[in-house]
Amino acid sequence: MILNQLPPLHWLAAGAAIAAITLALLFVANRRLGISTGFEDVCSFVLPQPYFRRAAVVQGRQWRVPFLCGLVLGGFLSAALGGGWHPTWALGMFDRVIGWGVAGKVVWMFAGGLFIGFGTRLAGGCTSGHGIFGLSNFEWPSLIATVSFMGGGLVTTQLIYRVFFT
Amino acid sequence: MTILYVVLGTLFGFVLSRSGAADYDFIQGMFLFTNFQLYGIIGTAVVLTAPGLWLIKRRGRTLLGRHCSVELKPSHRGTVVGGLIFGIGWSMAGMCPGPILVNIGEGKLYAVAALAGALVGTGLLGELYPRLQQPLKMPALAVGPGEG
Repeated sequence: MILNQLPPLHWLAAGAAIAAITLALLFVANRRLGISTGFEDVCSFVLPQPYFRRAAVVQGRQWRVPFLCGLVLGGFLSAALGGGWHPTWALGMFDRVIGWGVAGKVVWMFAGGLFIGFGTRLAGGCTSGHGIFGLSNFEWPSLIATVSFMGGGLVTTQLIYRVFFT
Repeated sequence: MTILYVVLGTLFGFVLSRSGAADYDFIQGMFLFTNFQLYGIIGTAVVLTAPGLWLIKRRGRTLLGRHCSVELKPSHRGTVVGGLIFGIGWSMAGMCPGPILVNIGEGKLYAVAALAGALVGTGLLGELYPRLQQPLKMPALAVGPGEG
């Protein structure tokens, strides 16, 4: 079950929809799907480092910022149209197994976010840019990145839920 | 065009939300091998995107006839190191970058902390890039004014 106890879409349907959106971005607008680069676009509004003044970042803002806003809107509509939008701190098996309160979750999520932001930008992409687009385009670095982040996630989750908190 | 990006982003966000890709338990289930859903989604997306990409690249033009090409990502030591670090974060937060934003839209309040962390992490990388560039054999920064 996902949010509001809805049953999830079939994986075939979800995968096909993601493929269609990825291809539409390229075919209609000549854009390569990639979400984590959007973090750089957002940072580039306030940070002065040369890293954030690259052409790829500054030029990407005009499409990635609206796309990122769409992601938030999509999540909102999904909740609103499927049982209602209810702000929540509930966190599934984290609550059942680890059981930390709000402050613990904020620290934990901020730390996780740090790893996500630093890691995706160091690897040059995330699940979308490397995992979906890169693998579909048979790019060697994307295969290496995907194996690396799947490996990192696997070990971490196994340690958390099979070793430290059981 | 801005509207198009908002619409495609909204559709993407909706699908991520409804498929389990933005759900903490589904992500842990994937890494625990107790839930096949995410493997099915990513696998299907790749299998269907690959032939479409090939066709679009062969055509070399967008729908409206503009030049269409795919920018490739560089390969360096950061690909592995960054991938491993991102994997740790994906497991901890139960979200990759897209689902962070989707979860904020859904009203999952802790996702705001994850977004704050991700932006600080990105800023940190931008600050440290000149120092990491040589040891990780990463490409020089192409600084330019851009059009945005």
